[in-house]
Amino acid sequence: MTRREWIALISSAPLLSAAEPDAPAAPVSIAKCASYDEDVTAQLNAMFDQLGGIEKLVRNKTVTIKVNMTGSPSQRVGGRAPAVTHYTHPKLLGAAAHLFGRAGAKRVRFVESSWATAGPLEDTMLDSGWNVRSLQSAFSAVEFENTNAIGKGKKYARFRVPGSAYMYPAYDLNHSYEDTDVYVSMAKLKNHDTCGITLSCKNVFGTIPASIYGDDAGVEEPNEKPGAGRMRVGHQGIRQPAKSAPQELHFGVNHDAGYRVPHIVADLVAARPIHLAIIDGVETIAGGEGPWIRNVRPVKPGVLIAGLNPVCTDAVAAAVMGYNPRAERGVAPFEKCDNILRLAEAHGVGTTDLKRIDVRGLSLERALYRFSA
Amino acid sequence: MRRCALLLAFVSAALAAPGPAGWVPVRWPWSDAASLELLATTPVNCLLLRDLTPEFAAAAAERGVSVLAIIPPTPDAVAATRKAVAAKAAGIVLEGDFPDAVVAAIRDAAAALPVIQIGPRSRLKPGASPISATNQGVWPGIGAPDENARRAGPTSSNAWIDTNTGFLRGAHAAGATILWIANEPPPKTAVTLEGYQHAIADAAMSGARWVVAFDADLAARLAKRDARAVTQWRRMADFLVYFEQHPEWRDMHEFGQLAVVQDPARGVLLSGGILDMIAVKHAPVRPIASPQLSAEKLAGATLAVNVDQDALTPDQKEILRAFASAGNTLLNVPPAPVDQSRVDRVTLDKSELERTNAIWTDVNNMIGRRNLGVRLFNVASVLSNALESADGKTLIIHLVNYADYPVQNVTVHFLGDFKRAVLLGPENSIKKLDIYPTDDSHGVDVDQVGACATIRLEK
Repeated sequence: MTRREWIALISSAPLLSAAEPDAPAAPVSIAKCASYDEDVTAQLNAMFDQLGGIEKLVRNKTVTIKVNMTGSPSQRVGGRAPAVTHYTHPKLLGAAAHLFGRAGAKRVRFVESSWATAGPLEDTMLDSGWNVRSLQSAFSAVEFENTNAIGKGKKYARFRVPGSAYMYPAYDLNHSYEDTDVYVSMAKLKNHDTCGITLSCKNVFGTIPASIYGDDAGVEEPNEKPGAGRMRVGHQGIRQPAKSAPQELHFGVNHDAGYRVPHIVADLVAARPIHLAIIDGVETIAGGEGPWIRNVRPVKPGVLIAGLNPVCTDAVAAAVMGYNPRAERGVAPFEKCDNILRLAEAHGVGTTDLKRIDVRGLSLERALYRFSA
Repeated sequence: MRRCALLLAFVSAALAAPGPAGWVPVRWPWSDAASLELLATTPVNCLLLRDLTPEFAAAAAERGVSVLAIIPPTPDAVAATRKAVAAKAAGIVLEGDFPDAVVAAIRDAAAALPVIQIGPRSRLKPGASPISATNQGVWPGIGAPDENARRAGPTSSNAWIDTNTGFLRGAHAAGATILWIANEPPPKTAVTLEGYQHAIADAAMSGARWVVAFDADLAARLAKRDARAVTQWRRMADFLVYFEQHPEWRDMHEFGQLAVVQDPARGVLLSGGILDMIAVKHAPVRPIASPQLSAEKLAGATLAVNVDQDALTPDQKEILRAFASAGNTLLNVPPAPVDQSRVDRVTLDKSELERTNAIWTDVNNMIGRRNLGVRLFNVASVLSNALESADGKTLIIHLVNYADYPVQNVTVHFLGDFKRAVLLGPENSIKKLDIYPTDDSHGVDVDQVGACATIRLEK
């Protein structure tokens, strides 16, 4: 099948399985970026221009960027730096901060829930081999916050899921996700063992703090010194989060991670809207989300993808990876899980219908990089 | 040019026939004089042989190389010693577990020659003889992740690094001045160049010497003077050169604010214990053997872990009480007896490990992410040792990278008003590092660490 035939096929897929007709659509920009040694700032700037410019989005605003630093920074794919495998690359962070600053942002705050710690995010970045001083100098008002616990806030922020929640009626998150005007999900273009794909929507699974949703979360109150992941609450559903937070709606009914995680993610993207999605597909991995997954392999799709709606952006990104963004459970890349994008679409977050999404810059055909071997 | 200058220096040193303290030892699998040409451009000046001939000993002596005869624990050990003495051995190495009476008889037979016992760790008496040695060690390197770790996904723990550093530092603290670790490569394994470099550096960063031993494959290829094998040996020798260039490092003492007080008789001589666990945490630690605990030994420390309360005298317990009363943090952990008497033991067993893990949890909570003198970032595959000169004006931080690939973008935060920083390494020239202020201290960035590098800070 040629590239053109493939794109035509997945674009017609909604006819076979109807998309939500009212889900919003927004443009998505794709750019070629073969290496992090290229001028990433210029590429990203061009993409923002294709999306209509970012000044009106960020001027005089606090911009919070949720990056992807999944797992311990000590875990590596073949010894490579995490930024060229499973973490978003710091050059992309620096470029975004610089451009937001130039567009008049009041402050830029990088956030991530660092694995198994409530320590400073800067420490995790240093442990990843990132130059934090360089990031700080990208713009005059750069901040960092580890959102794995209460952090620099005084209380957790509660985000209610609009309409009918799938898993939890609301989620308690670090204050950074509330104390912001603009919320950016900066993700990596890669597969995910549990969810099929890790893009800007799946990235927000990392917003739920281990202090409340972690394996060692407190029973009644958050554990402000988390030292574990979120398998028991999030993936397995064998314990509830700390009682200070809203509890699971149908606890004990489902323990399938392939069901649970996509539904939680869809809840989260509905509860805490993402204003801008940026996906790093310059250098990444295929076959899984991190080095703990067997047989992940480094790949170089050489693309950057950005959009103003996370579901639309991820739908395009999934197509770039060679997948049908509307595929049913059982079909790659959703062989053993539900499709996050369709769940989010059903929440009314955005459309997965490629025919309704205006792709700007590089065409889908030219950006196509098949992740399935 | 650099190699020539170093060669001249070491030739001069070799001809000066250093005593046992200056011996740079290698297990030598050959007894033909021609094999000595492999020593050219290396600092090696001490060979350990099983089959020593007078001709070989004479040829080695002409090169200023001391040859030691290895005597195994067989019934004819005394006779073998006499034969070695007659062959003009420069010393006797007793390798294995010898009864005390046999050792005494061999010392008699050896007359004035030095006798070095390379036996089980359990028989080691640190400082009792000029050279403390053992042939038991773990092979340094990164432990392979197990299936459980993979199943745990992103929550799996960091890779464990097999190392002898905890044992070596504990033995030094207990009184060993010159320390040899003479473990051999794993059987049926062709060790990589990096593997040999790790073995050399793992010992050397703790002030010890690994008795170089070639695996069977490398030995066979060296015997044929295979060009790649000779190159590998020369690059191994570069590591020996590097550490022998800096004898002053052996006189430096451990730097940092964390002291671990431990009884040498109860676990210090086994690998995988609390010192190795702290090493993986990258916290600088000062091991103190409990018999030598004093207020002076604790000077500068702000945290102390007392691993063996039962081993302390009332006076020593008072020292620790005073330490805590002065506003410092003292962690007294419940006694966790470790049986290190068995001769085949190198590491903790499962139950001992579980008890030590419990101690480690408390220690880890106490340390947190504090800077206890030096904090390292992006060093998952690295172990370190921070050493301070007696006058406190120089701090060196050894970094040994146990991965088979370089680690890039290492950040080091350190306490102290150091004005100059340079990076040294066996395979690179001296590089100046820029010191910058951090929230709680100062820092330097290192672009890349191959198998080994050293940061030298000066006031």
